[in-house]
Amino acid sequence: MNQTVTLSEDHRDCLQEISNVAMGQAGDHLARLLDTFVILSIPHVAVLSPTEIAMAVQTVDDHSVSGVCQGFIGGGIAGEAMLLFNDTSFNDLATLLEYDEELTEASQREVLIDATNILVGALLRGIAEQMDIEFSFGPPAILGQHQELDKLLSSNSVRWNQALVVEVNYQIENHDVQCDLLVVITEHSLNHLLNKLNYLLD
Amino acid sequence: MSNSQDMLNDFRWIMDVVQNVDVGLVLIDKDYNVQLWNSFMQNHSATHAEQIIGQSLFEKFPEIDEKWFRRKVQSVYVLKNSAFTTWEQRPYLFRFENYRPITGKAEFMYQNTTFIPIQGLDGNTDSICVIIYDVTEQAINNIELEKANDQLEIISKTDGLTGLLNRKSWEDILQGEYERESRYHENCSLLMFDIDHFKKVNDNFGHPAGDEVIKQTADIVKASIRKSDVAGRYGGEEYVILLPHTSVDCAHILAERIRKKVEARPAFYENQEIPYTISIGVAEFHSSLKNPTHWIDCADQALYDSKQGGRNQTHIYQYPAEASNDNTESSN
Repeated sequence: MNQTVTLSEDHRDCLQEISNVAMGQAGDHLARLLDTFVILSIPHVAVLSPTEIAMAVQTVDDHSVSGVCQGFIGGGIAGEAMLLFNDTSFNDLATLLEYDEELTEASQREVLIDATNILVGALLRGIAEQMDIEFSFGPPAILGQHQELDKLLSSNSVRWNQALVVEVNYQIENHDVQCDLLVVITEHSLNHLLNKLNYLLD
Repeated sequence: MSNSQDMLNDFRWIMDVVQNVDVGLVLIDKDYNVQLWNSFMQNHSATHAEQIIGQSLFEKFPEIDEKWFRRKVQSVYVLKNSAFTTWEQRPYLFRFENYRPITGKAEFMYQNTTFIPIQGLDGNTDSICVIIYDVTEQAINNIELEKANDQLEIISKTDGLTGLLNRKSWEDILQGEYERESRYHENCSLLMFDIDHFKKVNDNFGHPAGDEVIKQTADIVKASIRKSDVAGRYGGEEYVILLPHTSVDCAHILAERIRKKVEARPAFYENQEIPYTISIGVAEFHSSLKNPTHWIDCADQALYDSKQGGRNQTHIYQYPAEASNDNTESSN
């Protein structure tokens, strides 16, 4: 599909606001689950091409990152959330999730998957609720570990030209955890999403 | 038909589906007691629903890591959001032995597990449904594919006859080491040798005997070098060894040790003794080197000197005096 993706100012604001509210709820849930304060950035909404995504990710150190993806679908809207972790965050992330055992390669992967599931789920649930839909989620899949960001993103052949991207940055108080969450919504879902937004805007 | 009968019918087919669906379904309440245990679970665990409903999951299935499981379930309650674990992180939640004696390739069932929140009538999440997927087939295929890929990588990097690195992959490592040396100026030496009068071995004893000589030489090399040294088969009867963190003097000692071992131990092929010798050239890393090929050329030059000097000997490449070497200064 070679449809050009355009997003009006109103739609963008609306989506940004929905994400913002969802972030607030997510922050609250996460704080209760992790017993610590979570600092969330204001979500950034933009239409991006695959190559622009790397540029959109500013907050993680791009030399050594781990990426995890999780697909979601529901109410005619589908996409994938991608979480990029700074590799320096690792031990703190494990502490946060109460993995106090020795971290083997398998448990490292599990920490990544758990963290992704929690952070992605918290946000997307909030977004879905406001649009009165429900998403079902697939299990998170690890895109790559300890790689340069460019390599991580290019190792997977991308089959879209442009997509709607919501970017959020998470920081966790008193823990050296920094990660970027990108929600990538595909071209195919865009009409459904715009319809939902129109309904909210009216 | 009355309304309640409709509902009863609905309930009956829902239960039928739940019982017969080919995934494991387990419902647990807040105290981790089992509330539902479908046929898949009954059949694979050999535990009838009556034996487990109302009982603690952990008591019946000690293989479940309780702390981990509670952590997982807790996140589902708090976030009202599904949680997952796949066979790649944890091969299984319940240990179900392989039940197919002919086509089952795994010892146990690999499982993906999803935890989903279940809302009670009051809208609060009051129990969790655990869904167990049998992914043995997929897991085994993946594991075998990975094994095959590892094997292929080894095959593509090594020389079949000797088991040493082949020329291409050895040169890749040399390139990396050369770049590191250019930056850090540590000691590093390159050793190159070949078998003296190898053509005569082939002519006098035949090619299989020649192969045996090449193989035995490689075995001597493997037994003589340290783990950090990188040996490769460079050409027909030509060998190279990269020696990181090794001064030219130490490299010379190693070269002599290999040379003497080869001299002292003739190869045997079909009860024939084949005595042979090798000639060695050594070149230390030097800041005047232009590229890795230049380094090889220097070692080759020293090897040529050994040949000219009458074979079965080691020569060290002497860099021209005006080319100062910073690594000798830094190592002092």
